[in-house]
Amino acid sequence: MKKDSTMNQKLPFSVDKFITLGALVLLLAVFSITANNFFTVRNVLTMALQTSTITMMGIGVTLVIITGGIDLSIGSIVALSGTAAVLIANAGVPTPLAMAFGLLVGVVCGWGNGLLITKLRLPPFIATLGSMMILRGVVLTITNANSSPAPDNFGDLGNNTLFKVTQPNPDGGLLTVFPGISFIVLIMVAMALFFWFVLTKTKIGRYTYAIGSNEEAARLSGIPVARIKGYAYIFSGFLAGLVGVILASRMVTSQPNGGIGYEMNAIASAVIGGTSLMGGVGTVGGTLIGSFIIGTLSTGLTMQGASYFAQQIVIGSVVILAVAVDQIRNRPKKRKG
Amino acid sequence: MGEVILKAEDISKSFPGVRALDQVRFELRSGEVHALLGENGAGKSTLMKILAGVQEPDSGRLLSRGQEVRFRNTLDARAAGIGIIFQELNLIPHLTVAQNLFIGREWKTPWGTLDEARMNRETMDVLAKLNLKIPPATLVKDLPISKQQMVEIAKALSHESEVLIMDEPTSALTEAEIDELFEVIHALRNRGVGIIYISHRLDELQHIVDRVTIFRDGKSISTTQYGELSMDEIVNRMVGRDLVNQYPPRNNLPTTVKLMEVTNLASSGVLAPMGFDLYRGEILGIAGLMGSGRTELARALFGADPVDSKTVRINGELVAIHQPTDAIRHGLAYLSEDRKHEGLAVRMQVAENITMANLDGVCSLPGIVSRSREWEAAQKWVDELNIKTPTILQKVNNLSGGNQQKVVLAKWLFREAKVLIFDEPTRGIDVGAKYAIYELMEALARRGVGVIMISSELPEILGMTDRILVMHEGTLAATLTTALTNQQEILAFASGLGA
Repeated sequence: MKKDSTMNQKLPFSVDKFITLGALVLLLAVFSITANNFFTVRNVLTMALQTSTITMMGIGVTLVIITGGIDLSIGSIVALSGTAAVLIANAGVPTPLAMAFGLLVGVVCGWGNGLLITKLRLPPFIATLGSMMILRGVVLTITNANSSPAPDNFGDLGNNTLFKVTQPNPDGGLLTVFPGISFIVLIMVAMALFFWFVLTKTKIGRYTYAIGSNEEAARLSGIPVARIKGYAYIFSGFLAGLVGVILASRMVTSQPNGGIGYEMNAIASAVIGGTSLMGGVGTVGGTLIGSFIIGTLSTGLTMQGASYFAQQIVIGSVVILAVAVDQIRNRPKKRKG
Repeated sequence: MGEVILKAEDISKSFPGVRALDQVRFELRSGEVHALLGENGAGKSTLMKILAGVQEPDSGRLLSRGQEVRFRNTLDARAAGIGIIFQELNLIPHLTVAQNLFIGREWKTPWGTLDEARMNRETMDVLAKLNLKIPPATLVKDLPISKQQMVEIAKALSHESEVLIMDEPTSALTEAEIDELFEVIHALRNRGVGIIYISHRLDELQHIVDRVTIFRDGKSISTTQYGELSMDEIVNRMVGRDLVNQYPPRNNLPTTVKLMEVTNLASSGVLAPMGFDLYRGEILGIAGLMGSGRTELARALFGADPVDSKTVRINGELVAIHQPTDAIRHGLAYLSEDRKHEGLAVRMQVAENITMANLDGVCSLPGIVSRSREWEAAQKWVDELNIKTPTILQKVNNLSGGNQQKVVLAKWLFREAKVLIFDEPTRGIDVGAKYAIYELMEALARRGVGVIMISSELPEILGMTDRILVMHEGTLAATLTTALTNQQEILAFASGLGA
């Protein structure tokens, strides 16, 4: 008995995560068998591309949830930052700089959320509910709700791939052997690695967990609670900004109406991945798996002809199921006297 | 004493890594107060939870009035007439006294709405039995802790409990409130209620206890009439060895080097302007009744609460302390009286808690935590303080109270604090662990650390300190030299009667 309990803690992945990982593998297997063309290189790459944005937002909101907070403004930040990047690119600013500006908009929004929460001491739900509405209002006002096209090279980031392999077609033209890995997927992997490192290896990460576990104990231990919470919202804003720029780049247009409800997918992937809304618990790996469960479900169900509406029912059920499994597993754990 | 109303036979219970109860036997008669004594981790709380239906035993039998019973949950236990009052009170702060008393079994009017009038009336009846004059419509959050505890007792009574389990009921009460509580306990006993009384304050047993059962390492060692054992014998049975002294000898005298000088410390409505010095190697006690501002003084000094003014010099140098981060940077440490809420992140590992205030000390590169250095440091302190935990990766909430306190202490020792403020360091901790904490305080003082010890227990203040600050209603009523004072003088200053 004794050995087991200590062994579990030494494993890099907890048993809980194996369950979610197993569920993801099972889903992939089921869709591979039931849907033609599901388990093809092209489809897997497309799925990864579509899921990457959920993953990145999910990682951002995971950081926030670990501190015991929530970020409802993600979708609005996505729209505002993407639109801002396109508008400024159209004004003649070089594309890379315009995109950087989009990221900056995300960072500033997150910073503002952090200030509302740490300085004005608003509950995170209220603060980010307010900023969700304000930022959406801002983006709709400055664009009058119209989307506008971006310069051509604005689309490079979202539409190009790495390691694309082609060969000459005997009939002329080029035949695509391997479509390549989207830049977006590569960015997602980089972000996942970076934030995994931050959460598990750095002081900031440790403090994030400590604050979520017991904010008062953290404060009395000398942890700069306000600053660390601020970082979490800034990271979340940054990742939302990144997703906003990426989506604008893929469409090569600004999308002031885009991103509505994205925060809910982000929160769902964090929760499926084992993040606790009570704070103190959550991992990047878990959220990664959670987002791919959502991504796999929506792609697989689409290929089987299920409507978007039906998909919502399934994904909602998965969120409830994931947390229910967690609750049941944790039930017998009582403290000793 | 009447018939046996509750009996536990050969109860065993294990948790991962721990055998909490090993064939334990216990019985309770009607109309007796039966003390359950033992060190932390001896199994008292586990037995209590089993009797209250919070946990089920692995094996053994429970008998209620001779009938075998099985409690699957607290409702089963309540139906069998067992009421429990936990150390941490289970009242809902934003509901009234009456609403709390009738929660889950509210009276309804014929229209299906709540019959507040009837519930208030019946609440008054129950409170009258306890000689309490609390209006039933008072919100619980507006009552002092002592009255909240009375409400808990009233709640248990209103369930017609024949058995009342009380876990450390006096730990948050003042002397006067304790007397009041004892009167209530006497009254209940005379009405035939059987009371299981758990406390670490052995000195208070003489006032109320009929029989004593002693636990050690998950086993029931003995059950005797209260007078049969001397206090020393009780303590020896609890710890399983002879404890010669209650307090370790002080091997040094404090130096005359001023370590910290506090002047002009004030916080309107909480603390009247005051000042004091702390010398290198000194243990300075802070005494006072509940609510006299002892904890507020410590928190104000540490920067945990805002103040109107405060001048702090450490080693003669003026330092600015606006928040805990500043205090810690200047070598202060504060061990809160409320370990669970202010001292520990209980869902995190022992190692993570120990390094929490000094993560830089285990960073390989700036800002990057080295797990191996962290584990090395944590292991060192676990060994040094003899913290009982299967591994340093154990979650803190799996440790007993005394060991949790040691984890908090390890956190500050690893930080190498120069001034340690202990707020009720031995509250809820058993005799053996108390002595270990005293020894540590003594060792710290010997190394030149300045120790401030806040305590409600005058014997330990007199036994451990060099000087004593006595607080009364937010003012510093007296600064006394321990060797030249006594319990009576301290109490006089603490109650505002000052010489």
